[in-house]
Amino acid sequence: MTSYNQQLPPASGAAGVAAVATKDTIAPRARRRYSADLSALGEPALWGFGGALALGIIMIALFLMVVLYNGATTFWPKPIDQVELTDGSVIAGVERRGTIFRPDLPRLTEDQRAEVEANDGFAYRTLYQTANFDLYGDDFQWVADFETANITQPEDFYYFERQTWGVFVGRIASMTIDGQEMAYDPAVLRREQRAARERFTEIRNLERREIGGLNFQIERERLNQRRAVLRMGEDGAAPVVAESQARIAELQAEFQELQARVNEIRSTDRRYTVTLEEVGGRQIAPEISQIVRYYPANAIGFFDKLGIYVSRWWEFVSAEPREANTQGGVLPAIFGTVAMTLLMVVFVAPFGVITALYLREYAKQGRITSIVRISVNNLAGVPSIVYGVFGLGFFAYTMGGTIDQLFYPENLPNPTFGKGGILWASLTLALLTVPVVIVATEEALAAVPRSMREGSLACGASKWQTIRYVVLPKALPGIMTGMILAMARGAGEVAPLMLVGVVKLAPALPIDTFYPFIHLDRSFMHLGFHIFDVGFQSRNSEAGKPMVFVTTLLLLALIVTMNATAIIIRNRLKRKYATGQF
Amino acid sequence: MRSSLKLSLTASALALAAGAGQAQNIDPNLPVYEAASGVSGNLTSIGSDTLNNLMTLWSEGFRSFYPNVAVQIQGAGSGTAPPALVEGTAQFGPMSRPMRGTEIEEFEARYGYEPLPMRGAIDALGVFVHRDNPVECLSMQEVDAIFSSTRAGGADEAITTWGQVGLTGEWADRPVAMYGRNSASGTYGYFREVALFGGDYSAEVREQPGSSTVIQGVAADINGIGYSGVGYGTADVKAIDIRGADGNCYSPVAEDAASGNYPIARFLYIYMNVDPNAELEPLRAEFVRYVYSQQGQQDVVRAGFFPLVNFIAEQDLEAFGLN
Repeated sequence: MTSYNQQLPPASGAAGVAAVATKDTIAPRARRRYSADLSALGEPALWGFGGALALGIIMIALFLMVVLYNGATTFWPKPIDQVELTDGSVIAGVERRGTIFRPDLPRLTEDQRAEVEANDGFAYRTLYQTANFDLYGDDFQWVADFETANITQPEDFYYFERQTWGVFVGRIASMTIDGQEMAYDPAVLRREQRAARERFTEIRNLERREIGGLNFQIERERLNQRRAVLRMGEDGAAPVVAESQARIAELQAEFQELQARVNEIRSTDRRYTVTLEEVGGRQIAPEISQIVRYYPANAIGFFDKLGIYVSRWWEFVSAEPREANTQGGVLPAIFGTVAMTLLMVVFVAPFGVITALYLREYAKQGRITSIVRISVNNLAGVPSIVYGVFGLGFFAYTMGGTIDQLFYPENLPNPTFGKGGILWASLTLALLTVPVVIVATEEALAAVPRSMREGSLACGASKWQTIRYVVLPKALPGIMTGMILAMARGAGEVAPLMLVGVVKLAPALPIDTFYPFIHLDRSFMHLGFHIFDVGFQSRNSEAGKPMVFVTTLLLLALIVTMNATAIIIRNRLKRKYATGQF
Repeated sequence: MRSSLKLSLTASALALAAGAGQAQNIDPNLPVYEAASGVSGNLTSIGSDTLNNLMTLWSEGFRSFYPNVAVQIQGAGSGTAPPALVEGTAQFGPMSRPMRGTEIEEFEARYGYEPLPMRGAIDALGVFVHRDNPVECLSMQEVDAIFSSTRAGGADEAITTWGQVGLTGEWADRPVAMYGRNSASGTYGYFREVALFGGDYSAEVREQPGSSTVIQGVAADINGIGYSGVGYGTADVKAIDIRGADGNCYSPVAEDAASGNYPIARFLYIYMNVDPNAELEPLRAEFVRYVYSQQGQQDVVRAGFFPLVNFIAEQDLEAFGLN
């Protein structure tokens, strides 16, 4: 055997055999084949493509794992450590994270220095969530290993989540039930806390629904008066004003009654307090109704922890935020995100589809249609913040300002539509995503076979009938794909929204029980903005960090759900129209 | 009034419970807030991000009295407040610095009167360094020499290493990494006015989009130094003392900020469009009253700022015609 025969790559199979058979006569050809083989097989490109794909998938998987891990573990109850320091002081807190660092040697005592030097000048330190902001003026504290004398986990330490002032870590000293001070009894406190939270919800419901409704009516009467004065002048409006004043007086009386009921419940609340003692012995005595959740962190088993974990998640998705968004839930943000995205689809779908239909089916293909297509494609590349500026300037200030002057003069100078709101935000995002829908729809229309159209026309259908009954149904799955892409882009977009209606706090949802039920002028909260706000704007960024991961996880889940729903609908459509094929 | 008495009891009980341990006591002369009736509508605020959390806490508190008030708060920097007030897109324009002459003129050109500020809280700007940084106290000249390119404070040369402010050992050669706010921020303007003596920032200051981002930057960078509201500090950073006019070092604490010993302290303002010829409508009037109440100033402490004294509250209420 000659040497070049061994050089033949094994993959060349049949070709290799052929080369062996004819090697004596056409040796140069075999040689040429060898040099062409690798690239002809596409080996280097294959490795490149495969590698790029693997890298992409690994990065996405890593990102998802980081979010999933941090997001999923945040709500799991963790034990409380009581740390005795070498200087005699004691702190109690939940361990958050640790790092290695290089201590400043001259400041340490002899023993500590020896310990650190034994470790090449490095030491480990741990961040404890000591909580009790109202007593300490701080929530977190770093403790280095060489400062730590002893760590224990006493069973009588509790972790309290409060309505205001955040978390409290400490013992329960005593409790006052119905004005009677008594020793701490777990069963009684558990029962009373549940009752107190029920009272709390009752007050909230009374305030939101009944008093809220009254306030709403009083405000409307006040606006009616102003409107009448604006239209008819001071004198002409006098009868209207008098009538409206009488109604306001009636409403006020009702209001007093409700307020008295609320006050009664509040005074009951004040007779139920619990005295808490932090690790240093200082005490506070909050009302039991202020305690959202409490548990003995070191004395509960797996199933109790699971219960707390689930109840925290439930609070997160079903409650309003507390403490400047760093605690509580994100219900308004979930609602705002979904409502805005759906509203955006309502705007973007007809516009995108109609544009694409005209471009593809009706317009004469030529220079102008090419220019329109290029422009649409370029629109997709405009930075999103530019859309935000446009939305603020055109929608909110110009259109909204005009609407206010025409329809809501009684509210001025307070704007109704002349500011950012869910309507303007959806319109802005619709503008942002319309190119995606146009391009996808055009592709889908182009993919409908010519034979189908011709068949339909040959049967005597008009052009519109052909489009309506043959082309559009066939193209619908493709159009839906465009919608899904648009939704995914829209739901994840934050920058333009900050200008046209997303706010840090807007607990009032855009849809409620007060006439006219759908309030398109309202600003709203958005999960994406919530992430930015909690992560970078909150007073205590350390406390906000876990919430960032949880909210990110939720936003991802929400987008996946919305997309999955759209994909299911698309597949149904596909099946439904599958029989319509020739 | 039986009901209002009960309310006031709740509030004072709350105040006692909260004020028990913390040094920051609220002026007992401030009135306790009592709910009025007929307050409803939209409460929109656009402006300072320093005040963002405080506005949120205030409106949460306010909503506990008036559950049906729709609150909307947006904070992207003090610079966004004046245009929002001029365009009428917001009722409240929280700002961490007083309005500039041009901003007031623009407002006046539209409405014919000046916007009215209320002083909601006192904020000390902390100068933060990494928690391992041994530096204790800096003079204003040193701060100026670190952050500015102009050194209007009179320092001879720019400070670029920690050794230049007296640190020794391994710190002597470490470079100084500056973190600051972006130019839409009132904190940016205020710090330039006071700490840079009106000079200009060095081009090497890393501009951050939020108060909390500055802290996170310093926390992650052992050579870092940055300025931010003192309430934003975390366990990862350390607020250093600043040498006052009398040559002593002062920490950013309530007493020294209020007395002016700590040199970088300021009022936080909320600007409003108040027509001098018309009565303030109930919604805004009650919000102003709430801010100047025990509960309102309690929220100030929760947001990490320093509360006001009754004297200032009375002055401002007078200006709004709410006495």
